[in-house]
Amino acid sequence: MSIIEVRDLYRDYVTKKGVVFPKKEVIHAVSGITFDVKEGEIFGLLGQNGAGKSTTIKILITMLAPTSGECRVLGYNTYGEEKKIRHRINFIFGGELGVYRRLSARDNLRYFANLYKLPMGDRDKRIDELLELVGLSDKADLRTETYSKGMIQKVQIARGLINNPEILFMDEPTVGLDPLAAQTLRNIIRLLKEQGKTILLTTHNMYEVDELCDRVAIINKGKIVTLDTPNNIKAQMEENEEIQKHLEQVKLKEAENLSRITLEEAYIQLVRSSVDKEAKNES
Amino acid sequence: MKVRSVVISSLVVQIKQTYARNMYKFCLLVSPLMSTILLAEMYRNSEHDNFTSYIVLGAGLMSLWGCICFSSAGDINRERYSNTLSLIFISPSSFQAILFGKVIGNTILSLFSVLLTAVYSFVLYRQPIVIENMPMFLVSFLITIISFMVFSIFVAYILVLSRRTEILMNCIDVPLILVCGFVFPIEVLPMWTQYISKAFPMTWSIKLMRQSIMSPSVDGDFFISMTYAIGTIIVYALLSNLLYKLIAKRVRIEASLEMA
Ligand SMILES: Nc1ncnc2c1ncn2[C@@H]1O[C@H](COP(=O)(O)OP(=O)(O)OP(=O)(O)O)[C@@H](O)[C@H]1O
Ligand SMILES: [Mg+2]
Repeated sequence: MSIIEVRDLYRDYVTKKGVVFPKKEVIHAVSGITFDVKEGEIFGLLGQNGAGKSTTIKILITMLAPTSGECRVLGYNTYGEEKKIRHRINFIFGGELGVYRRLSARDNLRYFANLYKLPMGDRDKRIDELLELVGLSDKADLRTETYSKGMIQKVQIARGLINNPEILFMDEPTVGLDPLAAQTLRNIIRLLKEQGKTILLTTHNMYEVDELCDRVAIINKGKIVTLDTPNNIKAQMEENEEIQKHLEQVKLKEAENLSRITLEEAYIQLVRSSVDKEAKNES
Repeated sequence: MKVRSVVISSLVVQIKQTYARNMYKFCLLVSPLMSTILLAEMYRNSEHDNFTSYIVLGAGLMSLWGCICFSSAGDINRERYSNTLSLIFISPSSFQAILFGKVIGNTILSLFSVLLTAVYSFVLYRQPIVIENMPMFLVSFLITIISFMVFSIFVAYILVLSRRTEILMNCIDVPLILVCGFVFPIEVLPMWTQYISKAFPMTWSIKLMRQSIMSPSVDGDFFISMTYAIGTIIVYALLSNLLYKLIAKRVRIEASLEMA
């Protein structure tokens, strides 16, 4: 049995246009997609803006009802058996919303720890660990309205991990994170995989996909175009003329840069060493 | 046990989140003052001269209404705009328990506002606050608070359904103050509105409060009103429960938990 099963899923949004004589407009966000995610897998959902990725995730986390078709998470229907699913999963959305802005990061996490019914004894320790993990320990007691975009994103990450979920859904989780923080999140994702957790994520960062995902589905206009491992997808496209031409150019450039590191590697190294230095100076 | 911790933590978050808003502090402190002065002036040359019953009680009820119902309603949309409504809605805890906690949080804050009304009217007008039947007054006060809570839960659910229902809250704000007899007895209104009045638990519980302020003894009428008060409270509680079941499905079909 697959841990996530999506069967012939459709989802429409009905919106009203106009004030005096409102007209109904139907948007087909998801138009018949089917896929499975196996336990312990990191599965990527890719596609253009508006392809239907977030909609699919929202249905899977029991926030939306499907228009037709069925989703099963941990063997239970996401619409109808949501009570059996909710405490075992969690999700991280990119963006600056989704926190109580007048509460501190710690108070936010405390509240969600209670909503996710963590035992009182473990609660504060778990919150300290998570704050440490995302690097918010020293700012944990300030109101989140004083946080930067990336810091709010880190609160979201900690919140998403609060119940030690079996499946973690992530919708553009690295959006707004600096390269170092993004790398930390990628490490967290790998660690979760080692612990046997299942992860479904969307991102527009192909480097991330290539590095992390076991399999990916590419969605376009609500339909799956391709579903395979990153390596197979690459192999499949290798014969493509356009890509061949492009590769030639890249190879030429690479020959020039052969011994050089990427800017990202240089950046991360620089920031790391200055952080380490600071830490040494303080102690 | 778990439900209790959900209610309590929702209550605490509600109070912290609300009290941090400067606008709310302003309303909590200044609006009772304005109601007290306005009502006192309104009644200055009327034949109704029961200060406690019409001015202190009226201003107090207006504060209660403002703080409990209006905040509970506004909070739903605030949570929707900050995308936390969907987070709490799909958490493993019962949304009903969460909302109940929020309403209790608002109630605690609003009691402070009621207390202020009494202080303001005493300081400004130097009139003694006279309550003829204290035990019955306390019972009536409790019933009134429960009426407000039950009614705000009902309204909050309607607001969960869609953000467009916010306009409903603006429409019923002032009419309800008049129809339920917050500031004058409903008997001065035409017959047809009196029928509407009777459908709200607040109407009955306010009648009880006014009676216990003005008369030292209780009669059969008092207990009839009390029965109606408790009856309408139960009806609203049952309706809210039904409404919740309906809404839990609708919001996921209509995608109304978040801003589009
Ligand atoms: N609440 C809503 N009401 C109406 N239309 C919506 C709503 N949410 C999404 N849509 C529409 O559904 C389609 C799919 O949106 P969705 O958010 O799933 O895309 P996405 O793949 O996550 O895109 P992105 O990469 O930009 O995040 C879009 O056309 C969008 O406009
Ligand atoms: Mg999206």
